[in-house]
Amino acid sequence: MQINNVQGMVLKGIKQIIMLILLIYLVFPFIWLVSISFKSTAEILTGGIHVIPKDFYFDHYRSILNDSNLIQSVFNSLVVSIFSMTITVMIALPAAYSLVRFKTNIKNAVLGWILASQIFPAILVIIPLYMVLRYLHLTDSIFGLTMVYVVWELPFVLWMLYGYIKNIPLELEEAAFIDGATKLQYVYRILFPVIMPAIGATAIFAFIISWNEFLFALVLMKNPENVTLPVQLSRFTGMEGQARIGLLAAASCLATIPSLILFTFIRKGFKSGLMTGSVKV
Amino acid sequence: MIYLIFDSLIDFSRSRETSDKIRFVSLAWQEQLIEANREMVAQWNKANPDSEVEYIQSSWSSIYDYLITSFETDGVPDIFHYESTIIVDFANRGYLTDLAPFIEEEMKNDIVDVAWASVTQPSGEINGIPFLMESWVGLYNKDIFERNNIEPPTIEKPWTWEKVMEIGVQLNHDTDQDGRIDQWGIGMGLRNSANLIMNHSISFGGSFFTKENGKYVVRVGDEEKALLNSIMKMYQELKCMAPESIGKSGTEIIPGFMRGRYSMVIGIGAAMRQQLVENAPEGFNWGVMPPLVSKTQKTGINTQTYSIPKKSKKQKDAFDFIRFAFNTENMAKLARSDWMLPARKSCFELPPFNTANDGWEIVTKSVDHLTVGPWLGTPGYSEWKGRVANPILQELYAGRFSVDEAAERIEIESNLVLSRYQRNK
Repeated sequence: MQINNVQGMVLKGIKQIIMLILLIYLVFPFIWLVSISFKSTAEILTGGIHVIPKDFYFDHYRSILNDSNLIQSVFNSLVVSIFSMTITVMIALPAAYSLVRFKTNIKNAVLGWILASQIFPAILVIIPLYMVLRYLHLTDSIFGLTMVYVVWELPFVLWMLYGYIKNIPLELEEAAFIDGATKLQYVYRILFPVIMPAIGATAIFAFIISWNEFLFALVLMKNPENVTLPVQLSRFTGMEGQARIGLLAAASCLATIPSLILFTFIRKGFKSGLMTGSVKV
Repeated sequence: MIYLIFDSLIDFSRSRETSDKIRFVSLAWQEQLIEANREMVAQWNKANPDSEVEYIQSSWSSIYDYLITSFETDGVPDIFHYESTIIVDFANRGYLTDLAPFIEEEMKNDIVDVAWASVTQPSGEINGIPFLMESWVGLYNKDIFERNNIEPPTIEKPWTWEKVMEIGVQLNHDTDQDGRIDQWGIGMGLRNSANLIMNHSISFGGSFFTKENGKYVVRVGDEEKALLNSIMKMYQELKCMAPESIGKSGTEIIPGFMRGRYSMVIGIGAAMRQQLVENAPEGFNWGVMPPLVSKTQKTGINTQTYSIPKKSKKQKDAFDFIRFAFNTENMAKLARSDWMLPARKSCFELPPFNTANDGWEIVTKSVDHLTVGPWLGTPGYSEWKGRVANPILQELYAGRFSVDEAAERIEIESNLVLSRYQRNK
């Protein structure tokens, strides 16, 4: 018994150490980013490796906050990401439910197409996509970019929700119908609360995809007022890998704040939603 | 609810109508240059309310994708800032306006011939107006030189590659007596060094690119191998070059130079002086070395340009702005802001380009040694650089094979790439 206790404690200790190493590995780049953002360019280039700056330097943040283009781009990214996330989830949810519950001849083809559409990289579709959007007068518009992101994220979100809804027992639905619930009442009063964790998880994935996306935003948005954050951040880099490192670090730190806030709110749902949605086609 | 979401999104979009101004895409990324550009645009707009310019800042890392998709889909800017090696490729594909008919005598005569040569096609078509030129210089640590009684090179007495190696060996020191060298004679940014090798091989008589039966091919002979042999000698045989050089770019070498790790940095763009002026520690004394000499002192030129896409509907107005942007005063301001050389001869007469401070005199004089590389105009040069030259050079520096083997591989793989671009010729 005593030996088992000791073994247990040793194992626990090893696990804690591994988790700590993993935590440092994952978090240190962000800590370093914050550290750089508070250092002057001279200290960044010549000051050696110190996490705590020798002298705290706030001018990078002052420049960033005075740069109206950057603030505008953060706002544009927020609008595009929140709207595309919302629309994607609202479309994917009933679509996933239909795919699970309704038996049709084309179900397998639809599921296959959802998978196949993930193979195409953005660079392959960007030119024909631009031409379609230009025909619809949707280039250089937040609405147009949002619709592109909805189409881009939908297969992935749909696939995740499909897997989750598939795991919900049919008996729950049948019980609701026996008790007199309509389909709509079932979806909103019973199904919706049950799959809230999955919705949280897929929503955050959709938000992150839109928030980080670069190529579509670069090509489709020409007006400086419509530029999104990733494109705006790329303008801190010059030829041959040169960069205004301090400014870029400060801008990147500010850029992570909306994602952090959103993740904090949806964290609980994300954790349980992440473990579900395993696919059984 | 879906209707509300779409409605508010459309309203939000509608508030951002694209204007009818001349769209000018700039790659300025340094604060001073961005400011100089903005002032210039503001001055122009005040004087020309009927043909206002909209300043759009892009980035070097994304401009290629931005332009290629613009050219293919008609969403072109009216003026864009780029570099001569790439716009030649665009011109070959028919994307750019021939600016030759717009250029008047004054501009033609005042911009240096070698800058014109970098943007002029064999047919006489000119697809970009050059305004900034990059020259290659060296940097040295004045205090280390003084401590070791070394006279730095001058415009009149430049150093050869052999002299640099000799001094490099002399300046290797183990300053903290721990058995390892911590002050190296030479630092050199060799990561992704195709550009550096191409431009410096010219002084050894090397060209790499030549024409056979009307088609561009790559040939790597003794003259092309000479610079590679010199680098490997410094790195492997004499060990006077810091080992981390092979993994660092020119930009990344500068912090080590400022910390005193390298007594000299060779093969560096003149624009790097800005890093030293703005970020060097207090009391750090540095100087500029003229380009190194081999058979000649010539190095390849790379110019930055403004071009007008063929699909632009405001070509004449766009060129009027270019003419204004590239008058002597404005070009000088742009060049000083970016720590590069202006393309106009009249700018060289201005005091800021002739002062001994920050090596301006030496940099300005290096114009005499600039020449057009034979690779200019080669279809597929960009792909060649990224897919063939840089990877093989990295493997060479890492010791995977000899210079002769690298030469063989460069020839074989280069000609495979180039043949793809010249299939229909």
